[in-house]
Amino acid sequence: MKRLLTFVCAVLFCAAMSAQDLRLDVPGVTVLSERPMKSIGLHETRLDTTALQESIALSMADILTYNTSVFVKSHGRATLSTVAFRGTSPSHTQVTWNGIGINSPMLGMTDFSTIPAYFIDDAALLHGTSSVNLTGGGLGGAVRLATVPQHLEGTRVQYVQGIGSFGTADEYLRLSYGNDKWQLSTRAVSATSPNRYPYRNRDKKENIYDDTHHIIGQYYPKEKNRSGSFNDLHLLQEVYYTPGDGGCWGGQVWYFASNREIPLLTTDYGTTSDFENRQREETLRSHFSYTRNGGQFKTEAAAGYMHTWMAYDYKRDAGNGILTPMTRSRSTLHTIYGQAETEYSPHHEWLFTADVTARQHFVRSVDKNIILQDGNRAVVGYDKGRFELSGAVSGKWRPTPLTGLSVVLREEMYGDEWAPLIPALFAEHVIASGWSAVLQASVSRNYRFPSLNDLFFLPGGNPALKPESGFTWDVGMTFARDLSDKLHLDGNVNWFSSQIDDWILWLPTTKGFFSPRNVRKVHAYGIESQLHGRWQRPHVTWDLAGNFSWTPSVNQSDPVSPADQSVGKQLPYVPERSASVVGQMILKKWNFTYKWCYYSRRHTMSSNDFTLTGQLPAYFMSDISLSRSVSVRWADLSFRASVENLFDEEYISVLAHPMPGIHYEFFIGITPRW
Amino acid sequence: MEWEDGRTEDFRDLTQGEGLYILCEGNFQYGNASLSYYNTGTRRVENEVFYRANGMKLGDVAQSMVIRGGVGWVVVNNSHVIFAIDLKTFKEIGRITGLTSPRYIHFVSDTKAYVTQIWDNRIFIVNPETLEVTGHILCPDMTMESGSTEQMVQWGRYVYVNCWSYQNRILKIDTETDEIVGSLTVGIQPTSLVMDCRHKLWTVTDGGYEGSPYGYEAPSLYRIDAETFAIERQFRFKKGDAPSEVQLNGAGDTLYWINDDIWRMDVRSEALPAQPFLPRRGTLYYGLTVHPDNGEVYVADAVDYQQAGMIYRYSPQCVRRDSFYVGIIPGAFCWKKP
Repeated sequence: MKRLLTFVCAVLFCAAMSAQDLRLDVPGVTVLSERPMKSIGLHETRLDTTALQESIALSMADILTYNTSVFVKSHGRATLSTVAFRGTSPSHTQVTWNGIGINSPMLGMTDFSTIPAYFIDDAALLHGTSSVNLTGGGLGGAVRLATVPQHLEGTRVQYVQGIGSFGTADEYLRLSYGNDKWQLSTRAVSATSPNRYPYRNRDKKENIYDDTHHIIGQYYPKEKNRSGSFNDLHLLQEVYYTPGDGGCWGGQVWYFASNREIPLLTTDYGTTSDFENRQREETLRSHFSYTRNGGQFKTEAAAGYMHTWMAYDYKRDAGNGILTPMTRSRSTLHTIYGQAETEYSPHHEWLFTADVTARQHFVRSVDKNIILQDGNRAVVGYDKGRFELSGAVSGKWRPTPLTGLSVVLREEMYGDEWAPLIPALFAEHVIASGWSAVLQASVSRNYRFPSLNDLFFLPGGNPALKPESGFTWDVGMTFARDLSDKLHLDGNVNWFSSQIDDWILWLPTTKGFFSPRNVRKVHAYGIESQLHGRWQRPHVTWDLAGNFSWTPSVNQSDPVSPADQSVGKQLPYVPERSASVVGQMILKKWNFTYKWCYYSRRHTMSSNDFTLTGQLPAYFMSDISLSRSVSVRWADLSFRASVENLFDEEYISVLAHPMPGIHYEFFIGITPRW
Repeated sequence: MEWEDGRTEDFRDLTQGEGLYILCEGNFQYGNASLSYYNTGTRRVENEVFYRANGMKLGDVAQSMVIRGGVGWVVVNNSHVIFAIDLKTFKEIGRITGLTSPRYIHFVSDTKAYVTQIWDNRIFIVNPETLEVTGHILCPDMTMESGSTEQMVQWGRYVYVNCWSYQNRILKIDTETDEIVGSLTVGIQPTSLVMDCRHKLWTVTDGGYEGSPYGYEAPSLYRIDAETFAIERQFRFKKGDAPSEVQLNGAGDTLYWINDDIWRMDVRSEALPAQPFLPRRGTLYYGLTVHPDNGEVYVADAVDYQQAGMIYRYSPQCVRRDSFYVGIIPGAFCWKKP
């Protein structure tokens, strides 16, 4: 606490000494309440642009942790971070970037630690049934991410540098140019850290021996995160051209390179000098689009190419000081895709949409080099391609100003297999105009096809897997009201129920490897709620947003064995309750933010037993930040200091993976004036 | 987040007399392996005894355990450690580190033991008294990446080792020179190795898997003469079967193994049995042991690999006598004599 106070005082002093000609920045996340025809019946959580830009140091995983009701499972910064809706698994969350799905076709999920908030201008969550409007396969929901043009006149440069605990260095650069026809933007993010944060290892003890090798004492060692360094680089180039004829051309190219060590478990007695455990990735996503608005019609065509190269190396000192591969895994993925979308509104009461996306994946995955029985060498892996097609038509009707109805029919094909028709129905009715209170309901079926690894990975891939299927219904209410010209309130509450059959799980086999199987029938249900208020006074604005979720996710499969105790129990690692609050106070030129989140105790066993070796107790997490912008003659300057894990909580999110205690980061931003 | 305070328990009352240690692998990468102890006389079982005795976790993937000189040696594969524990208290009395990916430990003498490994082409030599790695035996025609050595049995001065993952050999080690002096090719991926009362080695292969570049074939049970180091008999299973966990009774005259069901065969038999000893009943048999004196059969059901496994205790006539829950994925056993 003493360290914390010292740090906060230093930041306050630093900021107070800066110039007084200040510009007020708009604060964090707000839930938008506009309800256009396309949003009839949708349960959508939208994060506004300012929130994303303000949190430049964060990944999308961090943004979603504090600002939404989804469950973010993280192993720490720059390690795998997955997002799951409503008690489902990460592969049940579909993620799109500028309209195209970016879930790994090999793994089926998206690692949100590889998506910097600095690159996202528009983000929204589509819960449950609502995801069918965007894509198929989102049995839990979908996350929609996008970049948008800045509508800039002239040239702008923004550079932000952050220095943080554990030797962390972050850099952000954006070069922008715009006129009435062209918008150009180049963004870069670099993040590096040895990431050797200290923690008390309570999973093992150090022994104190006497001269005869007898233990005479033991203690829980204070260790530093081992093998946790990372070095990430992101580059994003955007070009938008608006010729003035109602059309707009757009192109975005996103390159990502990372070199990350994989941290040792708390129960690992190996040493980092003996082992190297490292994952490298290079990903290129390119997207080119043409959009045209013409009266009753809006059309968009897009095409692009995505490439990912991933390498995993597990090496061991062979006794001669040379690290020798024990596992040398390589995978290469190429995806080409095309997409077309159109909207037709013959009358303000009607809107029809249609979209189709075609993707072709080429995957080569090599997991091991072996010596064959005849002495020759070979690799263990697979080399496959898969064509995917997804198309939908929808009709949306608002028969009265207070009532809206929508139907979506989606069809998907993976390889040579077609999913049954995916229907979704949505309805909404305004029940109190003064409060903009809208009652909503929706119902849908959905299917998720197995990933390429599920089907073909060697060893273990199971070509006989069936698609997972889901049936979901939602009912809820949203409202938004300005209680006065200074006080605004909005929120929503939703009840949902999802029945998911043929849930795919990777399980060990008696042959010593893991293999996926359709094993579970799950009923996920519960409540998601959000409340947001803003109170604006002449010199101070208070902004408070909160989320609460109660998401039982219950195994309803038949017992797999007479000894099976998992039937009727909550799925492992899915918290039943989670909550988050973000509060901001904007006092004249200052912006103070307090963020808090809570996850209830999680089970690690399907039987829901709590054992000494397998429990994840509930934890609370608090972060604060203080920022201030300063305008001088030649530049706009910004200063921001953040304290994360404010109360130095000792916690884990995943068994055997320690998380950092209190840590700090300080940012300076410069935007020169031309 | 609230943490256990690291308090420890005294188990001396429990460990009087004969007992069975049950190693529960836990889930890979989750560090939730555990050790259970079953007092066969009182039928009392205690779970997580290593944690409760030491105030720390056993580690990630508990693989095997042997007893030597009144000390239990617990090999924890993905924690890269072998714990030495007091048999009565379960308290740690030492540990061997500096290992790659240990699977099994075999004692050649009080001062020398071999440790087999996966993803290493070396069998480590350790000194159990000083708890140090003192050397290694380099296995021929293996790289680190394809290295795999597993269970060991000794006949005279020779130790035999089955090589499993992407391998098809039994190696013969001269314990006086610590060198590989022989290699015998069997089928694809021999999973386990025992030696019967007639000094015949028995190994069972799993046959690999469909699509494996190493090959995929019908698994086999092999009888190998230890002296001549030659295959005497090959018993073929159906392609797609996954036999494993070959065990012997105390007299060394009856073989047991898992192949979905539990199977039993006299070591003098010249054909595989037609009927299983214990049919699978919706269970997922993962581990197996036979009481060295009374021939009772203990079978581990891993259930769904994510919850407490169940141990079933059967008489030699296949009458169920007891059952009890242990930790996650019970896979290996170790008997303690009174």
